[in-house]
Amino acid sequence: MRELFAVLLNSLLAAGLYATMSYGLAVIYGVMRIINLAHAGILMLGAYTTYALFSRFGLDPFLSLLVVIPSFFGIGVLLYVTMIRRLPRSETGASIESLLLLFGVWLVLQNLAYAIWGGDTQSILTSYTMKSVSLWGVRVGVPTIAVFVASGVSLVVLETVLRWTDPGRAIRAVTQNREAARMSGVNAARISAIAFGIGTAFAAAAGSMLATLFAFTPDFGRSFLLKSFCIIVLAGMESVVGVAAGAFVLALLENVAGVYTSIPTSFQDALSFTLLVVALVMFPQGLLGVFSRLAMRRRRLT
Amino acid sequence: MPAEPILAVRRISKRYEGLVALAGVEFEVARGEIFGVIGPNGAGKTTLFSCLVGATAPRSGRIYFRGERIDGLPNHAIVQRGLVRTHQIVRPFREMTVAENVSIGAHFGSGKRRRKDAEERVHEILTRTALSGRAGALAGTLTIGELKRLEIARALATEPQVLCLDEVMGGLNPSEIVGAMSLIRAIRDSGVTVLMIEHHVHAVRGISDRILVLNFGRKIAEGKPAEVMRDPEVVKAYLGEETTVGA
Amino acid sequence: MTAPRSLLRVLGSAALALALLLSFPLVFDRGTLNDIWNLAFAVVLASSWNLLGGFAGQVSIGYSAFIGIGAYTTALLALRGVDPYATLPLAAAAGSLFSLIVGLPTFRLRGPYFTIATIGVSEAVRVFAAGVSFTGGSSGLRMPAGSFDFGRNYTAMVLLAVVVVALSAFIRARPLGRALSAIRQDIDAAEALGVDSTKYKLGIHALSAALVAVAGSLFAINFQYISPGSVFDFRLSLTIVLMPIVGGLGTVAGPVLGAVLFGYLQIKMLSMPALRDSYLFLYGALLIAVTLFEPKGLVGLFDRARRLASRSMKGPVPHAG
Repeated sequence: MRELFAVLLNSLLAAGLYATMSYGLAVIYGVMRIINLAHAGILMLGAYTTYALFSRFGLDPFLSLLVVIPSFFGIGVLLYVTMIRRLPRSETGASIESLLLLFGVWLVLQNLAYAIWGGDTQSILTSYTMKSVSLWGVRVGVPTIAVFVASGVSLVVLETVLRWTDPGRAIRAVTQNREAARMSGVNAARISAIAFGIGTAFAAAAGSMLATLFAFTPDFGRSFLLKSFCIIVLAGMESVVGVAAGAFVLALLENVAGVYTSIPTSFQDALSFTLLVVALVMFPQGLLGVFSRLAMRRRRLT
Repeated sequence: MPAEPILAVRRISKRYEGLVALAGVEFEVARGEIFGVIGPNGAGKTTLFSCLVGATAPRSGRIYFRGERIDGLPNHAIVQRGLVRTHQIVRPFREMTVAENVSIGAHFGSGKRRRKDAEERVHEILTRTALSGRAGALAGTLTIGELKRLEIARALATEPQVLCLDEVMGGLNPSEIVGAMSLIRAIRDSGVTVLMIEHHVHAVRGISDRILVLNFGRKIAEGKPAEVMRDPEVVKAYLGEETTVGA
Repeated sequence: MTAPRSLLRVLGSAALALALLLSFPLVFDRGTLNDIWNLAFAVVLASSWNLLGGFAGQVSIGYSAFIGIGAYTTALLALRGVDPYATLPLAAAAGSLFSLIVGLPTFRLRGPYFTIATIGVSEAVRVFAAGVSFTGGSSGLRMPAGSFDFGRNYTAMVLLAVVVVALSAFIRARPLGRALSAIRQDIDAAEALGVDSTKYKLGIHALSAALVAVAGSLFAINFQYISPGSVFDFRLSLTIVLMPIVGGLGTVAGPVLGAVLFGYLQIKMLSMPALRDSYLFLYGALLIAVTLFEPKGLVGLFDRARRLASRSMKGPVPHAG
């Protein structure tokens, strides 16, 4: 029983981070139908930026989020304006060109990191990195809790922005129904730029937080990218709550596999890859829309 | 002696994301007919065609083609059996020439032509659809009228027994419409049964042997043009539409 | 062009190319021949991938899995006493079989979703190979001693390269090539004209996988040592995709050009320590440049230059090789 509780608690704590990480991917896909492979590169860059701020200026990783989030929002908008906008538009859905373009960006970012920081494994060791506390009898690392709190806060802020600001509402509208949103005068370019900025900012924030938990190299990000895909495929991209739920499901599956079976950790990556393929195959059409469609039938469309 | 209908549709229904596209539609088409399908926008006409050729499966109901049940079969399998359609919004293979476009239908349709045989078939069809002069042109460079004819040419290349035309006259000028009508008659005279969705009610009335009228996914009338046009339900459905029906 | 004539043309050019390449050992030194082997290897990978990715438009970033399958099939059988070259047909079959396992569920997906699924599958295979003991685990396998004969290896790889390119040219000219192109451009419209898209996708995937698996076998035979890291490498999958894209997706010449370019660049970069680690940047920058500026790759650039240069049209612009 205690073991089960530990599994649940650890899953919950991991879910917060996974949700933050996935939402960045979800908003870009939802608004632009673009699959952002550079997400992995941004995750990595966020980690390295935090590391640089920490080792150069001694800035606490969680405080550095205040720097990372706005600057990467700017980087995202810049990326959109200089590159994404120039792509041939595809009305029928996601295009292979954007996939390849962002793949290219990912590679360039990796090389940038190799050039600046080298290929050695880095990690961030703060005064509290090794500390742990006991939550209801389960030992949990302090960084893990801090990450959960930071994720929670950023997701709440995000939800607020989505509900109460104009750009936020526009983003939700476009995600639910692109045609209708466009016809009611939503400025596609502006919203896309904002969405790309938010997506990039969240990816970087997730990267920063990941840096406090794991060691990293410029190659970092690939398995997290796949986990993110998994989550948004399972959960839909429309709501923050949906992504959080999907994140929890994946985290739970990973923890359960780790605790109750003897599958080694490296195979757990294979688990999320397989889950991804299975999920994609089961919902081949509007894969990310299935749950949101179900949800739509229950609530009134504003 | 009543011949067996070449196409029999039994109470098919289809929903898209909670919206009813077709509800209990039932009708028959006789071999050699020109069968018109009309109705206001959103009546479900294109959805009906999609179900007929297997581009999508009806939620319920059955479709019989030449006595064989075909609902649920994939698109390519139905085309192989001799039932094909054109698209309302043309879908040419823009990076291929006109001749190559048509050859796809010749090679992979029910005729399964090979080599020289296929070349001849393509040539013959291009002549019939007045596209011979553009045989080597890239499909991406054609005018809308030519693209409509290409849609028809490709479908004809599959050697169908039933050809479903989806608004082939949309966007054509009056002289092009006359040309289209005579092409359709020629197709029928060559032994192909034709179903046609059309917004140009005059054209449909002038050429069809019988007409089916859909509204909100339901059949509201079926029969000879003159009778159907006088049907009060039909008149009511079109009230407020640009196209006047008239007796 | 009627079939018999196109077949003759292709065979003729292939014979010539083969004769030329086979004469090289008489002229060039071992080092150059090694480079040519590597270039031929790249050409096989790029052209085979192009059958599915370029002709049919299904972009798979998981092709290193087939290299690995071919390599491991050959290595495992060779270690049990089978003549390495006799294992080639089995390697091909293994590649095709795996392509079916991958293709059957994933070909239901469209465009980028298919691509992502292939990344997932390929990674899963790599993890599996590294974790299972009969494949030698992460430390890999060494081919039995005494099986190395560079003359044979060179001939085999060069032959394979010529065969693959000739096959591409041949398919392109036939109705099959047109069907694949139709599938790429508008899969629903192709289906609407009777093309069984799933059958063709699976078929071309199987052919493509078989060729790549054989290349993997030849790799094992030539390098004598394989490990999951070397043959199931994601970066290798990526390079396989980049070569045809940069060279000209969907053409016959494109993958060859792309392979030669990458092969040459790689050789040059490896010899300059300063640039050795910059290949990621190069790949990324090329990918970005091609997607934004010239989606038709090198072939597209040549076409553009040719059109600018010529004042009179010799006929319809040959569309992509």
